[in-house]
Amino acid sequence: MLISYNWLKDYVDINMPAEKLAQILAMAGLSVDSVEEKSGDSILELEITSNRPDCLSYIGVAREVAALTGRRLKVPSRVLRTVSGEKTPNAVTVKVENKKLCPRYTALVIRGVKIGESPKWLKERLESIGLRSVNNVVDITNFCLFETGEPMHAFDLDNVAGGAVMIRNARKGEKIMVIDGTERALDETMLVIADSGAPIAIAGVMGGIKTEVGMSTTNILLEAAYFDPISIRRTSRKLALSTESSYRFERKVDMDNIYYTQIRAAQLIMEAAGGKSEGYIDIGEAAVTKKIIDLRPERVSKILGVEIPASKTKRILLSLGMKQKASSKNILKLEVPGCRQDLQDEIDLIEEVARVYGYNNIPETLPCVSEKGDRQPIDIIVDDKIRDTLKSSGLSEIITYSLLSRKVISMAKLDDKDAAVVKNPLSAEQELLRPSSIAGMLGAIRYNINRKNSDLKLFELGKVYFKTAGGSFKERRNLTVGLTGEIHDGWIGKPRAVSFFDLKGITETLFLSLGINDFSVREASEGPFSPAACATVEVKGEPIGVLGEIDQGVLKNFDIKDKVYVLEIDSESLQRSVALKKYFNEPMRYPSASRDMSIVVDNSISNAAIISLITDSAGKILKKAKLIDRYRGGQIPSGKTSLTYRLEYQDVSRTLEDKEVQEAHSRVVRALQENLGASLR
Amino acid sequence: MKEKIKEIEQGALAEISIAGNGDDIEKLRIKYLGRKGLITELFKKMGEVPPEEKGEVGKLINSLKNNVAKALDDKTGSVSAAGGAKLEKIDITLPGIIKETGTLHPVSQTIREICGIFVSLGFKVVGGPEIENEHYNFEALNIPLEHPSRDAFDTFYLADKWLLRSHTSPVQARFMEKNKPPLAIVIPGKVYRPDATDASHSFMFHQVEGLAVSDDIKFSDLKGALTVFAKRMFGEKTVMRFRPSFFPFTEPSAEVDISCILCDGSGARGGTRCSLCGGSGWLEILGAGMVNPKVFKNVGYDPDKVTGFAFGMGVERITILKYGITDIRMFFENDLRVLKQF
Repeated sequence: MLISYNWLKDYVDINMPAEKLAQILAMAGLSVDSVEEKSGDSILELEITSNRPDCLSYIGVAREVAALTGRRLKVPSRVLRTVSGEKTPNAVTVKVENKKLCPRYTALVIRGVKIGESPKWLKERLESIGLRSVNNVVDITNFCLFETGEPMHAFDLDNVAGGAVMIRNARKGEKIMVIDGTERALDETMLVIADSGAPIAIAGVMGGIKTEVGMSTTNILLEAAYFDPISIRRTSRKLALSTESSYRFERKVDMDNIYYTQIRAAQLIMEAAGGKSEGYIDIGEAAVTKKIIDLRPERVSKILGVEIPASKTKRILLSLGMKQKASSKNILKLEVPGCRQDLQDEIDLIEEVARVYGYNNIPETLPCVSEKGDRQPIDIIVDDKIRDTLKSSGLSEIITYSLLSRKVISMAKLDDKDAAVVKNPLSAEQELLRPSSIAGMLGAIRYNINRKNSDLKLFELGKVYFKTAGGSFKERRNLTVGLTGEIHDGWIGKPRAVSFFDLKGITETLFLSLGINDFSVREASEGPFSPAACATVEVKGEPIGVLGEIDQGVLKNFDIKDKVYVLEIDSESLQRSVALKKYFNEPMRYPSASRDMSIVVDNSISNAAIISLITDSAGKILKKAKLIDRYRGGQIPSGKTSLTYRLEYQDVSRTLEDKEVQEAHSRVVRALQENLGASLR
Repeated sequence: MKEKIKEIEQGALAEISIAGNGDDIEKLRIKYLGRKGLITELFKKMGEVPPEEKGEVGKLINSLKNNVAKALDDKTGSVSAAGGAKLEKIDITLPGIIKETGTLHPVSQTIREICGIFVSLGFKVVGGPEIENEHYNFEALNIPLEHPSRDAFDTFYLADKWLLRSHTSPVQARFMEKNKPPLAIVIPGKVYRPDATDASHSFMFHQVEGLAVSDDIKFSDLKGALTVFAKRMFGEKTVMRFRPSFFPFTEPSAEVDISCILCDGSGARGGTRCSLCGGSGWLEILGAGMVNPKVFKNVGYDPDKVTGFAFGMGVERITILKYGITDIRMFFENDLRVLKQF
């Protein structure tokens, strides 16, 4: 809402510069977005919150200024106490068919107006807030809207067919050409003003072109009314047509203001365009019962944390237009003015007191409340642990959009059949809620490669979303890791390409840091992954995710040339196995003995099969067996692999003798020879 | 003979004492202890010693040999400790081998920082669903259907009554329904609004919501808690300003500003209008207020018995201000050159 400083001064004496006024208004809740100097005037751009429709008018803002600065509000008086013909309701017929959507309708006829240019003062007022002057009558209706907050409309009475208006719902198939020059199709929920034939205005939103006041107009019908806020809001939204008028009706206009505005407008029109008023019709609720609120002054201090004397509380509220109805020691009964429909309860009055008293005059204290027990839920603790482990492993965290296009999902060969669909996306990029964060990961990888960041170790912790059979939805936390490019060891080592095993190593590091020891992988085949290197990740035998190399076709869709390795884990399933509590284990007192063993086996024999056989055959003194070297080619026959394992033997209660270590080791060698056809190297 | 022995010993010890490097020591070792060395030669001359002196002279030569050998060994030790010629110096200006660590997303870091501050004030962290229903996102928070106050909360819908939460406030209502006061919680998380994307708007962003309820929470407590937050987040000299505003779920409500972190609230930098605050000296950082009694009623609390405050802030906005980031979209592009700066 634009407020001209000079115009505002018509309604209240202001003894301070515009900048200072802006500051006072801002600190009282009328946020000022800007103050601009404009040909001897200052224009304040106010942001009026939806609870304060009274401030969508000059008189409303002036009332606020008066209360905040201790000045008197100067409302223009009606010189003509009654407009002539006010009580002769025969100049025009008005019928309100839908009283629910139009509880009050007033109409006034003025005959013999001379349409022309607006007087200078009027033009200046409207132009100061960026409005184009149309003609004297239309300008007055606009002026009154801004002055009082009550939208007005003037119809060319001679173009109202049958000389009668009806306020009714639009009929199926009805259309209207409105004054912005567009034809609008109406439906039966919309309220219209109609003449004997067709709609001549969309009630509270915009008038029709047929009855628009123009140069040839001589007789007018002035309208001021109260339309149902929800109905106006729906109509305005359906038609995507928001006007100064609909904006105010949506926020409720002041019922008490209608008659005043009607007479004020008539008076100004007759001054500017001549003519004679002939009839005034007023249908519906003439007055609204005023709200009376009980205020307990001790609640003011209780809520605000500052002692404000009851007398000061009362003074503030009276300055805002409240009327004292009665008071006892503990209760102040106050009647709320019609323009302040936002004030409904005691707390609303306390806010008024706080705002005028000044938030900055309320002291600062610290709340005396402290949660007992854990300060973080387990899921946040686990997520933070995951973040820290991955970060120290050299991975950087990314956050990608939860909303994606169907196209990107299919580019990643992900299944979208259970994906939740957004009903009102702004663009195709927001069609679906992601059922997986792999597409987002690939997008981030492509974005970086295009900017010459080609060695990437990334992860994302965030939710994935699904629709469920019962028409409901579910969401769960999810972890994605993505690797591509090379790993560098400075100038000492040679760079090498990242591999599946780097990703698997990160996975293992992560599990161990979360206290998860029982995990394994199982060959698998999943949408976005290459069948050559894809596995499900299992914790305690339960699959919780998948890792592997991204399929070449998928990479091509994303225009990525390097190999990409991705891990995706259901972090809620993961969380069930997390064991963050630590227990002390005394370090082994007796030394361990290490023996290396190099064997040659067929390529088809898996490491897991060998480890499992070693563990089974070595007996209980074997503490650990691990692969330390793997070699193919050269001296090894084709189709064979050379593997070197380091076996560590240890007993908790004594130092092992060389002989028993040798025996166990020989047992392992024999078992490998007999069961897997291994030969020693 | 005895004199000769003494002479050799003096000469040897003197020469060893001035030897400067390993090569000198090696030469002396050969000179005295080598196959044709002076001491070795003495042993060969034992035949010339009269039989009655043989025992004594033999002992003297052995002692000489041991003394010289020890002196040589000691010297070797001291020469190499002092950086002898045999050690090759390294080029210490070669670059170190860097083990690259990763980085947490700036949004995650800011969430941690915000939550950490409130945890230190006695709050606990709570989560909630991103897919919400209309009841918790709107009605429970006193935002009626088809009311202009909903305009501030444009929302993505998934189905009738199901939507993506447009703020973290629904978790307030969910938490209060299940827990009795006193309580003090912070709620971090993603929120969604169908806003056209530009440098300062994103359809997805993060918020941290806070809520404290007891029989004695006051507006002054809200001011105090948020001032502690602002000073820890933006520095001790940060000044706060509370302006009256309107949110359906709080009353009284406030917009909270901090003094501009670029111009320290002066509105000007180097004689021109400050680009960050636009010359006002203030930056809007969050919305707050006392919990509306209607919200308490909706969750089954008696508004005459409890009071509370609530606040909500945009994590990206805080991060943008803290680091001077210029475009909200950068948070979701994930350019490593940006991420690695935090």
